[in-house]
Amino acid sequence: MRFFTNPNIPFMAYRRFWLGVSVALVLASLGSILWGPGLKLGVDFSGGTQLTLKFKEEPDLARVRRALESLKLGEVTIQRFDEPELHEFLVRVQNPGEEGDFSKAMVEALQREFEGGAAAGLDLNNVGVDVLRDALAAADPEGVGGSLESRRQHYQAQAMAVLQLRKELGIFASPEVLSRVQGLSPEVRAFLQREGRFGEFTVLAAEAVGPLVGRDLRKKAAQAVGFSLLGMLVYIAFRFHLPYGIGAVAALFHDVLITLGALSVTQREINLPTVAALLTLVGYSVNDTVVIFDRIRERLKLERGKKLTEITDRAINQTLSRTVITSGLTLLVVIALFVFGGDVINTFAFVLLVGIVVGTYSSIYIASPVALFFTELLAKRKARSRR
Amino acid sequence: MRKNLTWRWALIGVVTALAFFLMWPPKEKIRLGLDLKGGIHLVLKVNTDDALRAEVDSAMERIRQALAEKGFPPETLTRLEDNTGFSFRPAPNTDQELLRKVLSEKAPDFKVSQGVTVVCRLEETVVRELRDLAVRQALESIRNRVDQFGVAEPVIQRQGDGDRIVVQLPGVDDPARVKELIRATAFLEIKPVVAVAESEEALLAQFGGKVPDDAQVVVGDRRDITDRVTGKLYYLVKKASVVTGRDLRSARRSQDQFGQPAVGFTLTPEGGKKFGAYTGAHVGEQMAIILDNKVHSAPVIKSQITDSGIIEGNFTVQSAEDLALVLRAGALPASITYLEERTVGPSLGRDSIVRGVRSGLVGMALVMLFMLVYYKGAGINANLALSLNALLLLGAMAAFKATLTLPGIAGIILTVGMAVDANVLIFERIREELSLGKTVRNAVDLGFSRALGTIIDSNLTTLIAALFLFQFGTGPIKGFAVTLSLGILISMFTAVFVSRTLFEQVLVRKTGRGPQTLSI
Repeated sequence: MRFFTNPNIPFMAYRRFWLGVSVALVLASLGSILWGPGLKLGVDFSGGTQLTLKFKEEPDLARVRRALESLKLGEVTIQRFDEPELHEFLVRVQNPGEEGDFSKAMVEALQREFEGGAAAGLDLNNVGVDVLRDALAAADPEGVGGSLESRRQHYQAQAMAVLQLRKELGIFASPEVLSRVQGLSPEVRAFLQREGRFGEFTVLAAEAVGPLVGRDLRKKAAQAVGFSLLGMLVYIAFRFHLPYGIGAVAALFHDVLITLGALSVTQREINLPTVAALLTLVGYSVNDTVVIFDRIRERLKLERGKKLTEITDRAINQTLSRTVITSGLTLLVVIALFVFGGDVINTFAFVLLVGIVVGTYSSIYIASPVALFFTELLAKRKARSRR
Repeated sequence: MRKNLTWRWALIGVVTALAFFLMWPPKEKIRLGLDLKGGIHLVLKVNTDDALRAEVDSAMERIRQALAEKGFPPETLTRLEDNTGFSFRPAPNTDQELLRKVLSEKAPDFKVSQGVTVVCRLEETVVRELRDLAVRQALESIRNRVDQFGVAEPVIQRQGDGDRIVVQLPGVDDPARVKELIRATAFLEIKPVVAVAESEEALLAQFGGKVPDDAQVVVGDRRDITDRVTGKLYYLVKKASVVTGRDLRSARRSQDQFGQPAVGFTLTPEGGKKFGAYTGAHVGEQMAIILDNKVHSAPVIKSQITDSGIIEGNFTVQSAEDLALVLRAGALPASITYLEERTVGPSLGRDSIVRGVRSGLVGMALVMLFMLVYYKGAGINANLALSLNALLLLGAMAAFKATLTLPGIAGIILTVGMAVDANVLIFERIREELSLGKTVRNAVDLGFSRALGTIIDSNLTTLIAALFLFQFGTGPIKGFAVTLSLGILISMFTAVFVSRTLFEQVLVRKTGRGPQTLSI
C-alpha cells in the first residue's frame, strides 16, 4: 500500500501565494496577541492563588465570585471544567505584589458564603486524616476507653477508610454515603453522620505562585525558548549552510507565532506545560524541516547545475509520503490526547495539534523558500564581488 | 553476517532484560511527579535578614552591658535600617581606650567607624556567612520536622546558593497542617517579666512613656479562670533571655494540672544550670514563656527549677503535639515566606494519570495498526522496535530516577512519534531504492545508510532543544526535557539498530531461496 506514486507537484511555483497567506496569518496572530484579547497567562506566569474546587451540586457562581472578591485580593477568575456534571471549577485570585499563599483565606471566605456562620465542626469534605482520627479518639464513639494514645491507634484505620472513599468519590454528597465505607463500625458512622458536616465543596488542588517566582518562571521559560532556537540555528547553519539555518528558524518563528495566536484567539491559559508543548512543536517542526533540507543537500550533490527551485521541488516530492505519514501518525496520537486526555492535558494537546499542522506546512512553504531566497541572494553577491 | 547477527541479538537481549529489570514493577520503580501522585510542592524563602537582626541585637546588648558595667551607659543605641549593624552615641566622658577595648572584645565581627556616633557594621564576609548559615540551618530544621512527620520520599533542597528552599512531599493529604508545621519558627525564649498591663499605654506609663533600653514589649492573651480568652495583656520583658530553644534537650506533649494538653520540655545540662541559677535567685518573680514573639504563659517562679518545664496555653492535642515536634526538631533561625505552593489532591492526580495513559495507549495502538496495514511485514518490525522503545524508555527513567509528570507522559508519546518517524524514513527509503530496481539486499543497505544521516541530523536538532530545556526549564518542563532526551537517544537505538537487526534476520533466512522479496 502507498499513498503517492512518484508525485511531482511544483510546490515552489506557488510559493508567493502561500508566503502571502503565512504573512497574513502571522499578522493576524500578532494583532490578536497585541491588540486583541491577548495571551492569557496562567497562574504559573502571572502569579496568584488558584484552587480546584469540586462542589456537591451546581453552585451559584455569582456567590462564589462575591465571596472571593470580598477578600480584596485583586482580579477573580472562575473557570468551569469541561464536564459540567462534575461541578468542578478553577477559581483564582491575583494577589498582586504580595508574596504568600492565600488558599486558606479563599477556602474560609467560600465557607462563610456557602455554609453561613455554621462553619464550625468537622467538615468531612475537607478534613485531613490526622484531625479526623483525633476527633474520633477524643469523642470515642465506640467507648473503647484506655489512654488517648491507644484510642488514636484504634481509630486510625477507620479514619483512613473514610478518606479513601472520599478520594474515590471526590466529594461526599450526603451523610448516607458513609455506609459505603469499608470497615466502618456503626457507632463511628452514626457519630460522623450526627456530628460531622458535609461541606458544600472540597479542595482538589491548590496552587499559589508569588510574583517573585512568577517573574522567575517567565524569565526562565523565555530563556529556554530563546537558547534552544539559537542552538538549532547554529547546528543547522553548521551542518548545512547559513541560509538553511535562517530558513529553519524563520519557519520556527512562524509556527510559534501562529500557535500563540491560536492560544490568544481561543483564550486558553498559558502555563508551564503549555511552554513545554510549544517547545515540543519547535522540536517537531525543525525535525520535519531537516528531513527536507537533508534531501535537498543530497540532490544538490547528484544533480549539479540544475536549478535550485527544481531541486527543492524534487526533494519535497521525494519526502512527501514520509512527511504525510509521520505528520498523520503524530497527529493521530495528539488527537487521541486531545479527545481523551482530559482537561489537564487539553491545552497541551491543542498546542501540538495546531503546531503539527502548521509545522508540517511551514517546512514546505516557509523553511524551503526562505532558504532558497537567501542561497540565491548569497550567490548573487558572490557573483557581483567576483566581477 | 551470521556471527555479527548473534552479537546484535545478544546486545538487544541484554538491554531489554536490563530495562525490564529496572522498570518492573512499574508501580514501584517509576517515580511519579506530584501532578500525578498528589502531594505538596513548596518553594519557600528564608528571610535571612532575621538572622542578621538577631546577631546585631545580641551584639548591641553585649556592648550596652559592658559599657554600663564600667559606668558609661551609651546615650543612644540603635540598629541600622538594613540590619547589618548598629550605631550608638557613647556617654560624653567615655574613656576612648576602654571603648576600643569593649568594641574589639564584644563586637569582633564588626567594622567600626568612629565619630560623634560610633557606627558598627558587620564585615561583608560575615554577613554572607550569616545568611548562608541561616539557610542551611533552616534546611536542616525543616528536614528534621518533615522526617518526624513521616513522609515517604520527601525532597528538601536548597535552590542553588540562594535563600530559597524547595520542599516536595508526595502523598500528603493535609496540606494546611504541613505548611504550618514547616513555617512555625518555633523560637522559644524564656525572659524575666518587668511589668504587665492591659494596654501598651498603661504599661509604658510606668516607665515615663518610653520602652527602657534593655527591655521590650511582648503581647499575650488574657484568660479568665476557665481558660477562656478575654483580651490581651502587654508584658514588658528584659531583652536578654534566661534560656532559649537552643537550650532544649527534648520536648513532648504532656498535660497541665487541669488535664489540658500542654508541652513539656527538658533542658540540656548547660541550659539547666543557667535556668537553675536564675530561678533560684528570683523566686516569687514572674517570667514569660515566649514563642515566636508571643507570650504563651507567664508563670510565677515558685521554687528553683533546674532542668524541665511546661508550656501552657490554649492547646489542642494536635497543636501541642505539633509544637513539641517543632521544638524537638529545632527552631528556624529566620522566618519563612512561601513563594510558590502547589497541592494536588490524590484523586485529581489519579484521574489525570488514568486519562493520560489511556489516551497515550489509544494513540499508540492506532499508530501500530496503521504501520501494519501500510508496511505489512516491515510494519511488524517497526511495531516491535516501537514497543521496545517504550520499554527501554521506562527502564531508563527508572535508572535515572527521573520523575514522570503529565508533560512527561506527553513527552513519551512524542518520542513514540519520533521513533515511528525514523522507521518511516527508513522504510520509505527502502521502497524508493526498490522501485529503482535495486535488489532487496542492496535496497535495505542503502535505505538504512541513506536514512541514517537524516535521522541523526533531525534527532540531534531536537536533542539540542531538549538539552536547553533541561538547562533552563523548571519543574514540569525539566521532567519533559528528560523524557524527551532519553526518548530521542533510545529511538535512535531501536529504529536504527534493532530494526536493522530484524531486517538482517529476515534476509539471512531467505538466502538461497531464489529471488528475494521483502514485505514492505
